[in-house]
Amino acid sequence: MTAQSVEFSVTINARPTKILAHPGKRLSDALRTDLGLIGTKVGCDAGDCGACTVLIDGEPQCACLTPLSHVADREIATVEGLSADQLAPVQEAFLRHGAAQCGICTPGMLMAATALLANNPSPTPDQAEEALSGVLCRCTGYRKIIAAVCDVRDQHEKRLMPSAGHAVGAPVERLDGRQKVDGTEIFGADYRPSDALYVHVIRSPYHAAQFKFGDLAEFVESTPGVEAVFTADDIQGENVFGVIPPFADQPALAKDQARFMGEAVALVVGDQDFLTAMDLAPFPVVWTEIEANLDPLVAQTDKAPDIHSGRPNNVLITGNVKTGDPAAALSKAAHIVRGEMTTSFVEHAYIEPEAGSAWVDGEALVIQACTQAPYMDRADTARVLGLDPEKIRIIPTATGGGFGSKIDVSIQPLLGLVALKTGRPCHIVYTRSESMASTTKRHPGIMRASIGADTNGKIVGMHFDGDFDTGAYASWGPTVANRVPVHASGPYKTPNYLAQARAVHTNGPVSGAFRGFGVPQAASLQETLYDELAEKCGIDPLEFRRINALQDGDTSVCGQEMQGVGIRECLDALVPHWNAAKLAAVEFNRSSTTIKRGVGVASCWYGCGNTSLSNPSTIRLGITADGRLLLHQGAVDIGQGSNTVIPQICADALGLPLDQFELIGADTALTPDCGKTSASRQTFVTGKAAMLAGQELRRKILRMSNMSSDAVITLQDGKLTVAEQSTTREIKLDDLPSGEHGYVLHAEETYDPPTTPLDENGQGKPYAVYGYGAQMAEVEVDIKLGAVKVTNIVAAHDLGRVINPLLAEGQIEGGIAQGLGMALMEEYVPGRTANLHDYLIPTIGDMPPVQSILIEKTDPEGPMGAKGLGEHVLIPTAPAILNGIRHASGAKLTKLPALPHRVLRAIQEAKAPK
Amino acid sequence: MRYEAPETLDAAVRLLSSATGLTKILAGGTDLLVQMRTDVVEPEVIVDIKGIGEVRHIGEENGGFRIGAAITGAELEEHPTLSKIWPGVVEGANLIGSTQVQGRATMGGNLCNGSPAADSVPGLIAAAATATIAGPNGTREMAVEDIMTGPRQLAIAKDEFIVSFFLPARPANASDCYLRFIPRTEMDIAVVGCATCLVLDGSGKITDARVSLGAVAARPLLVKECADAIIGSTLDEAAMAKLDAAAQAACKPITDKRGTIEYRTKVAGVLARRTAKTAYDRAKG
Ligand SMILES: Cc1cc2nc3c(=O)[nH]c(=O)nc-3n(C[C@H](O)[C@H](O)[C@H](O)COP(=O)(O)OP(=O)(O)OC[C@H]3O[C@@H](n4cnc5c(N)ncnc54)[C@H](O)[C@@H]3O)c2cc1C
Ligand code: FES
Ligand code: FES
Repeated sequence: MTAQSVEFSVTINARPTKILAHPGKRLSDALRTDLGLIGTKVGCDAGDCGACTVLIDGEPQCACLTPLSHVADREIATVEGLSADQLAPVQEAFLRHGAAQCGICTPGMLMAATALLANNPSPTPDQAEEALSGVLCRCTGYRKIIAAVCDVRDQHEKRLMPSAGHAVGAPVERLDGRQKVDGTEIFGADYRPSDALYVHVIRSPYHAAQFKFGDLAEFVESTPGVEAVFTADDIQGENVFGVIPPFADQPALAKDQARFMGEAVALVVGDQDFLTAMDLAPFPVVWTEIEANLDPLVAQTDKAPDIHSGRPNNVLITGNVKTGDPAAALSKAAHIVRGEMTTSFVEHAYIEPEAGSAWVDGEALVIQACTQAPYMDRADTARVLGLDPEKIRIIPTATGGGFGSKIDVSIQPLLGLVALKTGRPCHIVYTRSESMASTTKRHPGIMRASIGADTNGKIVGMHFDGDFDTGAYASWGPTVANRVPVHASGPYKTPNYLAQARAVHTNGPVSGAFRGFGVPQAASLQETLYDELAEKCGIDPLEFRRINALQDGDTSVCGQEMQGVGIRECLDALVPHWNAAKLAAVEFNRSSTTIKRGVGVASCWYGCGNTSLSNPSTIRLGITADGRLLLHQGAVDIGQGSNTVIPQICADALGLPLDQFELIGADTALTPDCGKTSASRQTFVTGKAAMLAGQELRRKILRMSNMSSDAVITLQDGKLTVAEQSTTREIKLDDLPSGEHGYVLHAEETYDPPTTPLDENGQGKPYAVYGYGAQMAEVEVDIKLGAVKVTNIVAAHDLGRVINPLLAEGQIEGGIAQGLGMALMEEYVPGRTANLHDYLIPTIGDMPPVQSILIEKTDPEGPMGAKGLGEHVLIPTAPAILNGIRHASGAKLTKLPALPHRVLRAIQEAKAPK
Repeated sequence: MRYEAPETLDAAVRLLSSATGLTKILAGGTDLLVQMRTDVVEPEVIVDIKGIGEVRHIGEENGGFRIGAAITGAELEEHPTLSKIWPGVVEGANLIGSTQVQGRATMGGNLCNGSPAADSVPGLIAAAATATIAGPNGTREMAVEDIMTGPRQLAIAKDEFIVSFFLPARPANASDCYLRFIPRTEMDIAVVGCATCLVLDGSGKITDARVSLGAVAARPLLVKECADAIIGSTLDEAAMAKLDAAAQAACKPITDKRGTIEYRTKVAGVLARRTAKTAYDRAKG
């Protein structure tokens, strides 16, 4: 590498600037590292995601594809230039519409929108779509972004913050929104301690291999820029991690043997510029490829060696649920359908690849990184490094999407190892390919089922059997194996039932948590079979589901007596849309020969929180002597909105206005454990803890002032005023002794959902709260090409109590986008699709309009009646689309995604005489 | 890595001829920067041609159009008359990547990157475009269909590069169309691409045709059998069926993550029909 630095003059955000760098340096890199303008994000470094979009002479371009030499003497605009003291109208519009969830795509979206708005201040939705089509968003489903860009106004009524007692139910803008639209949010890659060492990971190029290192000391010695190399031999603790401790089996750095392509085996530590440019081919490692086992069915036979000792036939675990006598019921059924469904690995494809930093601060090892589960990170990192967990502080950065994958540790133990070993701060940023190759995926499922109904269309029995490829390590495999049998019936009364699911090891990528833990896969089979069964019974598919929907007081397949069941209400809400869409399809198809329209429907249910396992959250709330109200909220907000929803619940429980709350975000040193952000548990579990803490603090205040529960509390000028009818009492806060955590008044409450263990037949109470939903998809199929376009979705979801409708809609639209991707295009193939060029996720143009219908069937257990939502929303989407495809074209898909070639073949098979 | 930005054709050719290690032309960089980042190519010298006037020129010439090799898809679309006369050529170039990529990606880069699926190439081939190539012995002309010989393989030497493309004068009652098929709505690489250029007589009979298919073989194809299938017809169903069959017969695709052999072959037939129909309707005006 020859240093050929040149000085470039550019104008950045109207300020003349000089950059001294190599002419081939990427603009994105120069902006972020040379100029500290971290608002421009890098999601792929390859032109695929658009997160790096900046304006060059007013035109939107990818900064990651632009060499510095091409911007000499030109004008560059970045997100930092959009606002000064006041946000620009487009930024306000993003906040107003909830167009930023995690916020990692937001700067790119804003810049693309700014270019559009400069020429066209009031674009149509189509024009907005066109202009934004180069920027990917994995969270929002794009609809709120389109709405925002079409509603940019200089003057608008600032939405008022709700008054005391009215926070719950209000469409509050996200409280942590501003930094997401002004480019100041700090994600994993955005903070790098000065003089940090850079960490580069050496990974297995094979699905399965043995390896030996050569002379590592000599490599370090002879390679300029490299300061150290670390391997499994440097790990002082127990070299395994895993989200479910009894199953923990994954080494932070593999020793002697790699079990999947992309597994980490060594760390090369040194100077960042040098390491990114360096050719790592001379790294001394010798690989011996061994035969890989990639098929979960073969893995269970004697042909395949066991990947882990003690797990014979590669079966990690089997989950089952049995009730009644399904064999007898099916044999007597008037109508019966049988079918199979195979699904693929699905990549989470959050736009932020894993990144973070670590350093030693006195006694403590500090790890600042993107995550969904700070306390679990701490436990796993402590285990690997052989440290007392109390010696580790995890500071979550803003997380640019997680969807389940950022629950498992990735970079944390690696960063910790380097910081401890070198005593120096260190930094790591995964490339897009590394992120995709090394982190978890959705479990592929190979599933079979039979379902029977009586002459009235009532389900009499169901049999389900599934093999789920959990990949090389356990991760969340046990959860999938347990959740699937519990949910595979769908939200329907199924008196006779047998379901089994096996989590099976292969040398594939590690399958972990991904919105729905196996339930979306199972629903894709069950819900498509329901359509076939409805047809056999001669009943309309929506009506068929209404006939069989669970109701309050019914028992689930686990024998649990269900309460607050809202599925019937969701299905009812779809009826008028369904009828209209079916008529419209018939009308359309009368004159259209190549494009055929169809409508499909599917339902979901989903238990919130861990299956039959304790998963508590603790919330702390305190008032200081000078009258500040602080909420320690440890639920990581990965874009789903807990930083807003939890305070809303707490505010109404306490009876103070939302805007008086100051939020202390997740940090293992500052916030009690709120568990992981997964399993749709934060609104329910942490929300309930927040409600209890709010109520407890209120009780304390009322007790001190000797007032009844009807009293109105206000907090102002360092004092609490409690008023009831004609009596008013004051509590002067600085008169009170300062207690625990430095508060004069405080409450800390823990909530753990009441569940019971499942017996050997899967009978018990696996969840305390369930959420429900039903979606209808309208699709158009090009029957000559097999191409499918989803044109509209209506989604009815039962939230129990809507805490924040704006955020709820955002969750629904985002979940639908992921469900649509799973249905139509997403298929991760190790070694072949480890980038966003070849792994396709929905773009703005793929996403149809979504009409959300929010149903409130109060839950007796949830906080203020609320249920979870985050995962439910993507479960019905894929089967609704599959049912729509079949309705339009006759094509019956048995493999996801429904790629055009598969659809075309299925159309031909449907036409072929049987 | 050395970076050079010559301002004349001669200077560029001199750099190319004198370089010893791997030398790469840089135009928009949308392929090259990605390949460098993923270590697919590690050039020792980069020759940025964007400062050379000829490669950045676009204009009418002898009744046809001269398009500099470093003209981007976005610039092509902005040209006041080009998209009226050669809509198919512009359609192809405009399908390259997103808006953000289109502002950078060039026609020359699209061809010289050597991808069989390059979107702007079938349009150029169907339009009977030629390329002007600069080298140590001055410039030479070559038909676009002869330039790519296989994946990442070109019939131009290491010390040569493409200066511009020439689109010949378009006859009356003629037009073209490019369509590609991708599984998602935008930003994806073609499963199949097809361009058709037709010339009609006054009665609507096809007197000349060129059909080019992309992503169905090791390089973009000019399929004479497709042209023969429809020349002399008014694009009735019988001609369409022959066109469809000829397009399918010309395919030698591979199965990859974007489509199977069987599927690609079918799609080629369908797109040949659809591009012919649109080009025909456009030519009739
Ligand atoms: C996100 C993204 C999406 C894309 N989508 C598409 C798509 O939909 N369809 C499609 O076809 N392509 C697509 N591409 C590929 C790419 O954008 C095109 O191939 C582009 O046209 C290349 O032009 P460039 O100017 O950027 O080339 P460069 O990257 O500068 O060069 C590409 C190659 O051509 C050589 N070269 C460039 N100019 C010349 C010349 N004049 N003479 C000789 N050799 C030359 C270079 O040395 C290099 O090897 C996409 C790329 C990205 C990053
Ligand atoms: S980082 Fe530039 S497009 Fe993804
Ligand atoms: S908000 Fe768009 S990627 Fe998260």
